[in-house]
Amino acid sequence: MVEHKYDPTKWHEMQGPIDGGRDTYQSKSWNPTKKKWGTFTQDGPAPVWFSEANATNWTESMICKTKDLFYEAKINECVEKGDEVAIKIHYGEYNRTAVLRPEYIAAIVEEVKACGGHPYVVNDTTLSYHTYNSMAISQYQMEGAIRHGYTDATFGCPVLIADGYSGEDDYRVDIPEGLILKETYIGRAIAEADAMIVIGHARGHSITMYGGVLKQLGIGCQSKRGKYITHLAHWGDPHDAIGWPKFTDKCPGKACKFHKMCDDSCPRNAHHVEEHRKVWYPERCRLCYSCQVTCLFSGMTGIGFEENYFPNAMIAHADAALGALKCFDRGKVGYFNCAIDIVPECDCFPWAGLAVAPDVGIFAGKDLIAIEMATLDAIDNAPVSPGSVADEKGCKPGEDRFKLVNGFSPRITMNAGEKIGLGSKEYKLNTYEPPMTPEHIAKWQIRHGGVDNQKPTTVRLRDVFHKHDLATEVMPFGRTEYNKDWVWNEWKKYDPT
Amino acid sequence: MSEVIWVDSEKMYFDNSVRHKLQKLMDSSRADSDLIKGMRVALKINTAEEGYDYGLRPGFFRPVSERVLAATNTRPVICDGIKLADYWKQIRGTNYLKLAGAQGYSNETLGGHFVINGGFSGDEGDLFPCKLKDSELGGVEVGTAVCRSDALWVLTHVTFHPLFGIHGALFNAGFDCLVDRAKTRLLKSINPYIFNGHKPPFSDLRAFQCRALESFLGVQASMESKMFFINYLWDMTPQPEYYPYSETPVIENMGFLASRDPVAIDKATVDLIGKKCPSEVLVSSGINFIDVLQDAERMGIGNLDYTLSRLS
Repeated sequence: MVEHKYDPTKWHEMQGPIDGGRDTYQSKSWNPTKKKWGTFTQDGPAPVWFSEANATNWTESMICKTKDLFYEAKINECVEKGDEVAIKIHYGEYNRTAVLRPEYIAAIVEEVKACGGHPYVVNDTTLSYHTYNSMAISQYQMEGAIRHGYTDATFGCPVLIADGYSGEDDYRVDIPEGLILKETYIGRAIAEADAMIVIGHARGHSITMYGGVLKQLGIGCQSKRGKYITHLAHWGDPHDAIGWPKFTDKCPGKACKFHKMCDDSCPRNAHHVEEHRKVWYPERCRLCYSCQVTCLFSGMTGIGFEENYFPNAMIAHADAALGALKCFDRGKVGYFNCAIDIVPECDCFPWAGLAVAPDVGIFAGKDLIAIEMATLDAIDNAPVSPGSVADEKGCKPGEDRFKLVNGFSPRITMNAGEKIGLGSKEYKLNTYEPPMTPEHIAKWQIRHGGVDNQKPTTVRLRDVFHKHDLATEVMPFGRTEYNKDWVWNEWKKYDPT
Repeated sequence: MSEVIWVDSEKMYFDNSVRHKLQKLMDSSRADSDLIKGMRVALKINTAEEGYDYGLRPGFFRPVSERVLAATNTRPVICDGIKLADYWKQIRGTNYLKLAGAQGYSNETLGGHFVINGGFSGDEGDLFPCKLKDSELGGVEVGTAVCRSDALWVLTHVTFHPLFGIHGALFNAGFDCLVDRAKTRLLKSINPYIFNGHKPPFSDLRAFQCRALESFLGVQASMESKMFFINYLWDMTPQPEYYPYSETPVIENMGFLASRDPVAIDKATVDLIGKKCPSEVLVSSGINFIDVLQDAERMGIGNLDYTLSRLS
């Protein structure tokens, strides 16, 4: 068990009520912005490491290459011995299939432990998003996570919800540098960590067009109220600001077969259906997207988004990402983008479309914008997967794929991010190919911990066979006559080609 | 007069094991009579600190969570709060989960959704009034896993307690359900780890006990009184589970009690313990738990009078 040293509480000094009651809640030392916070890249292009998808031998396993990149990209230097390390991932919506396989996360957890860190895997709760969302309630989200194989047992460390049982366990972070947002709220399990490794699933997103590691910071690290703000809920009057749902005259009212589901979609009863329209009560609305997404998911167009909402929300989520980054000292956050199962939509969708590109590979780095740019460029240049929505829209390699698929260029976010100090758009791509040597093969095949496998399996089996060799009990096998016709001809009758 | 059901630990047999006894206890006390489909039920348990070796096994809770699941068709939330803000292991959410896991507490073993009451920080909660004339606290912040549920079943490992006398239903459903910050507020100047050499004056202890009882009223308000109590008279050690060590149990295992009245079930508990245990043990740390129970009755929390139905 991990040894911790804490200063004993001075109980005798606590004669009166302590700060932090409802009256003083979050008014004093609740902003955890680190003094040593800063943009990682100080000058020149930021280094990004990449290893392509596909494998033909032990060393090229995607898991092994992920572990290699952990050290090549010096992500290990984010972790000092004894650090509490949050591993930020997306737990994935119930019934979602295109989520990262648990092995990728377990691989990083193992290396964080090898560096002396104490990892724990986190994700925040979401807002309701749509009628059947299962990530807004921690219990539902964990049931989905377990279904995806995200458990203490598979990762080898605690798996928890960063913003508490109800999504309200958070810290406020000031972001005066933000272009749109000036504050955000970060789940405490993230804000209280000493270091963070962000493992992004690089794929599309309906609101931010693309979702990788920046999305993990800009929405994924936000508690419920952080998410409300990033949705631009703070912005003005519903009748002249763009953050609010747009109720159009295309709503067929009760003629819509989904009207009951639509009414049920709002957790605040902010709208209800009438014979030929929807009635909206903006004073109850807090911008959770439930009504809009339920309408869109149903293939209807009665409730949508205001013009220009998406690019503003994209810039706002870059601001929010800054809030998450400011909870850590410079160089204490490392990023992995897994460009695998590059589907058009977010992991918070309860389904997965066909991938818009074949698997590209793994990216790693410590500059948030640089790794995102490298990932986007590589996805744009990848072949277009046949049958995908990108293919349907006539996308060609080299074009801005997520702009074509989802509407706006994700580089809007990257430009905003660079401006506020999230990182550098300029990057230098280092392509990593693992060496095919006996030592490197053994490096990630020999397990440390778990099954104590300090020897190659075959060498270990020698010990086992020395004690008891099942084969010797049945040897010689019962012999039958050698059938030359089978060996040379007969089997060919089973080959349809 | 309140009703308390007691299933003792005698006559163990293949069809009368701990599991069967707990089922019998829930049947006899009509535990699930007020549960309906879709109801979210929180089971408040105790998870031990590292070094405390007499925590209840997961199998003691599993029949209860299965019963709740059968009655509500909803997996219950199983919770406990982060321990007091001091220098032991359970003050961080991650350590808490690691420790609980090491003790065998997980979703799979407990049969429900195992969470920290109050979230990662232990401070996620809502304020509820302690409905009491001349209340000292006014209100307390109750952890979210408890206060956002529709009903609370309090599954208490009965032990002795250096500040409260007996750790029973009253303490587990009161002080133990609060967020970390509220716990610190209730403790004020009292060091909960008296083995460290800072023993509080008796008057401070009495004041703390009243605050702890008041906090029960806050939790009760948050649950709109939808509460049910099971006391496990099993491995009753001199130290409570938040201690980082434990001496051996001082009384033989006596079985399980159930009631809807926290005062009655704790009074029955102390009466049963009193029959088996020297009186000087019962008033450990100079606390007479009967005084605490009388305070609880005075506050209107429950009745000291009860009828005890014994089942083997």
